[in-house]
Amino acid sequence: MIMQKKEIIQTLTLIFRGTFGQPTLDLRDDLTANDVENWDSLTHMLLITNIENQFGFKFKLKDLNKMKQVGDMITLIESKLDIHPL
Amino acid sequence: MINKVFSDEIIFPFLDILKQFPDRNAFCIKEEFYTYRQFAEHISKIRFTLKQRKITGNIVGLVANDDIETYASIFSLWLEGMCYVPLNIDQQLERSMDIVVQVEANLILDSSAETCYPGDLVVQTKDLPFIEDCVGFDGTFSDEELSYILFTSGSTGKPKGVAITRRNISAFIKSFFDIGYVLTEEDRVLQCFDLSFDLSVVSYLVPLLKGACVYIVPNKQVKYSYIYGLMDDHKLTVALLVPSTLQCLRPYFGEIEIPSMRYSLFCGEALPLDITSDWAKCVPSATIDNFYGPTEDTIFCSHYRYNRNGHNKHFNGVISIGKPMTGGDMKIFDENFNESYVGELGELCLSGNQLTPGYLNNDKKNQDVFFIKDNVRWYKTGDKCFVDSGGDFLISGRLDNQVKIQGYRVELGEIEYHAKEFLKDRNVVAIAFNNQANLTEMALIIESGNFDPNNLIIYLRSKLPSYVVPTKFLFVPIFPLNNNGKTDRNQLKRLIK
Repeated sequence: MIMQKKEIIQTLTLIFRGTFGQPTLDLRDDLTANDVENWDSLTHMLLITNIENQFGFKFKLKDLNKMKQVGDMITLIESKLDIHPL
Repeated sequence: MINKVFSDEIIFPFLDILKQFPDRNAFCIKEEFYTYRQFAEHISKIRFTLKQRKITGNIVGLVANDDIETYASIFSLWLEGMCYVPLNIDQQLERSMDIVVQVEANLILDSSAETCYPGDLVVQTKDLPFIEDCVGFDGTFSDEELSYILFTSGSTGKPKGVAITRRNISAFIKSFFDIGYVLTEEDRVLQCFDLSFDLSVVSYLVPLLKGACVYIVPNKQVKYSYIYGLMDDHKLTVALLVPSTLQCLRPYFGEIEIPSMRYSLFCGEALPLDITSDWAKCVPSATIDNFYGPTEDTIFCSHYRYNRNGHNKHFNGVISIGKPMTGGDMKIFDENFNESYVGELGELCLSGNQLTPGYLNNDKKNQDVFFIKDNVRWYKTGDKCFVDSGGDFLISGRLDNQVKIQGYRVELGEIEYHAKEFLKDRNVVAIAFNNQANLTEMALIIESGNFDPNNLIIYLRSKLPSYVVPTKFLFVPIFPLNNNGKTDRNQLKRLIK
């Protein structure tokens, strides 16, 4: 089943909330580590693991450096899930 | 005569490089390159300002930012006969100020846009004007003066200041190159350490003495992926890493290939043989070397070369730390300071020109860890070690990692070794804890999602005495790292209730 971008964001939001322990956190494309409390290099690795487990794929090492903000992450997840625009 | 080691080994070679390679790159920081000429200008600016300001005392705080001004500050201070004390930007201001007060620094160099330190102490090094060339040197100061002071966390909670003299750092540089490394202006060298960790010193100083380019891993980056990015994008040729970085990169080894790497160096933690053998395939042309040494003996003092095509000496799966580097000595002593025989465990002790004169203002600690035997001054490392018949040293663990369970001595490293053998790629830490009945039991913390440890327990029972087999298993998806990039055992310990 192909996941819609909206669903990706919903799922990602839950992962973010769980990883950083912030139940009301909302995602924006330009959200970065500087905007979120607890988003440090350790929780970042946890975040990556949680995303991989939830979506069922593995990031490439090269991908990890591309994810500077949430928008990059969404784009990358989309490409991993191979979404075709309608 | 005696007091020119620092000028001969470091200052003059560096000044020659500035003249010889003005247009070559000295630094790459956040994808921006700085030439040796630009670096010299930054040094001039800061040094000019230092000269203008009447400074009492030789010790200067240096805010450990990741920019050209911070690295230029180090050389400005050295040329002015001063020493630096890095102030880590991640640590609480209170701890930094505690350090500033302890070393009685009257000056702090800060390249931050806004400084959080008291204004009367601070010189802000960003955007200073260039007045005149200021990189000359008359070479008149003593080699016994300090070059830097690093604070290491003491087990008592109060950080201890390790004073490193100019003679110490010069001796280190000499013994490093005595190994036979050939670096030139063509090399591209990784610097991934915070300045408050002494592996940073070798990572920036060695390339700058050869006209090579230093590639900085900026603060606040996911280190292991950034490190890989630099190695791959810029075809780095030399990289010193802590083994924990390899542990982080391990799941991605299949995609890593860095044929440009010539020297892949490790220090700071036990280097596991299995992961090193896997890593060797990622850096097919590199010489892989393992180093050992505490901050007290100036960066590192022993060396072992990994053998790609044959046997490697190891103990409990951890690669040998090899033999002493030139200019220093290593011996294993028992509790009565008698030298141990081949194969006999004892405490590893170090001597030589790299050895610190001692901790700042800490007589108690100095008395505890330094001793004189047959007119030689030795440092007790706290590492339990033995030497084999070939003269190579092998570490068995920390003296304080040895715990007693039901009266038996237990080495945590041995439990970790067998658990890793069974779990393959997973990282583990064994920790002793007292249960409700105040009896010591073993816990094993595994870097993994949850799983049933039953098969692991069966395996460990087949390898270890039953009293050593862990009774408690904890799963942590990713191990925390401390500021130096090493596995943070203390933080893991706190997980055990």
